[in-house]
Amino acid sequence: MDKFSLFLADYKGLIPDFNGYLQGLKRPLPLYYRINTLKIGTEEAKSLLRSEGIWFEETCFEELVLVKNHDPPPSPVLSYHLGYIYPQALSSCLPVKALDPKPHERLLDLCAAPGGKATHLAQTMKDMGLIVANDRKLGRITALMANIKRMGITNTVVTQARGEHFTWGHKFDKVIVDAPCSGIGRYRMDETGHIRHMKPGKTDLPAIQKGLITKGFDLLRSGGIMVYSTCTLNVEENEEVVHYLLQKRRAKLTPWDPPVPWSPGITRFKEKEYDKGVGLARRFYPHKIHSVGFFLARVVKA
Amino acid sequence: MPELLRPEDRLGLLAFLKDRFGMAPSSFEAYHIYAFKRQAFLFRRQPGKIDFPKSSFVRCGLPFMRLVAGYLKPTTVFLQRFGHLAWKNILHLDKAQIGRLCLEGEIDLGLESIDAQEIETPGYIIIKTGEYILGAGLILDNSRILCRFPKAMRQALVHINDL
Ligand SMILES: C[S@@+](CC[C@H](N)C(=O)[O-])C[C@H]1O[C@@H](n2cnc3c(N)ncnc32)[C@H](O)[C@@H]1O
Repeated sequence: MDKFSLFLADYKGLIPDFNGYLQGLKRPLPLYYRINTLKIGTEEAKSLLRSEGIWFEETCFEELVLVKNHDPPPSPVLSYHLGYIYPQALSSCLPVKALDPKPHERLLDLCAAPGGKATHLAQTMKDMGLIVANDRKLGRITALMANIKRMGITNTVVTQARGEHFTWGHKFDKVIVDAPCSGIGRYRMDETGHIRHMKPGKTDLPAIQKGLITKGFDLLRSGGIMVYSTCTLNVEENEEVVHYLLQKRRAKLTPWDPPVPWSPGITRFKEKEYDKGVGLARRFYPHKIHSVGFFLARVVKA
Repeated sequence: MPELLRPEDRLGLLAFLKDRFGMAPSSFEAYHIYAFKRQAFLFRRQPGKIDFPKSSFVRCGLPFMRLVAGYLKPTTVFLQRFGHLAWKNILHLDKAQIGRLCLEGEIDLGLESIDAQEIETPGYIIIKTGEYILGAGLILDNSRILCRFPKAMRQALVHINDL
């Protein structure tokens, strides 16, 4: 059995409306555009998108639209190159909403490239305060810098370091650890039943994720908030990583009411039982939110 | 590592923007200007001093101007974000002209059209189409317009008139 078949067998009883999930895998990933309110008003951007042949639907987030053209949609060349839009999944907006950054705050995005969340943070903060956007890989940092430029952002410092070794002169009010992951939330099935978007790799992701979540937490000031997120759906890269942090540090999860359907974090899986607090994490299934499957935990430093 | 511009250099840059585009220097009070690798960067002013970490620093803020051989070249990304503060040396082009400018790299608009838009030559200009600021251009020999958009944008806009 391949890895994904094993995943399906293990999670059959845990994923709500499992048949709906399987059916959803056959539909293409929906395309969303986030409007960059640093450069343009939402209404103005929407009318430009319409004039570029994009049909869209509003979403629960004012700055995000769901593209309705049948694929492939026309390319909104002006909107894109003038930095008015950023193609971004609805799920990818969730960490920024959960973090609720304020204009004067100092933020760290530990795994930032290519910058979907960092640039969303910047617009939410009205390009004020400070964002440190870090990533390990130079190639991806090039894309991050291009996006920061295209979106016209001035409040961001870009750094290149392994997150586990990241240092800075002060602690941060808020931290995002949008960790590298196996990406099961992005999986889609083609006509032949073959899974697309599957990442190869033998890396021990949970070990990396545990290092990153702990470092992210250590870089928080007391009372600060961290969001840990992935676009994968297995317990080993999600609840187990959060459980590890709760064991190692004086961390607490705080509840958050997302504006889209969610399920609570899993506290019991096979023979393992996790800290009850892990139940305050949020799981987002692709067929329920019409986007990439996602996991998010909002952690506060006591 | 980036260096905060000395006050007189900062004033020089802001005076250039005022002189060329009519942008008020006070509009930039909320920003530091750093020099790094022969470019100036606009970086949101911070309450305390920032010690950028030497080992991991890549960049701070938005590329603002290139400092090349005594010339100041405003970047397209700066003008897209802050160009609304300008009131002069703004050249309006229609989509067909933008397409040609991007394809050929330069176009000659003729003196009449440049005069009608009250563009001072030679020097940098802000290129607009309709209500949208596209970015930087350069005017030479009274009526030659040179494209100064980033390469990917220039390539994408070649067919703007057909979209
Ligand atoms: C899920 S992606 C981040 C997406 C990004 N937050 C966004 O919204 O556009 C994970 C990122 O983690 C980076 N990464 C992998 N290992 C890392 C490490 N040890 N430290 C820091 N970044 C790492 C990868 O290069 C990748 O860009």
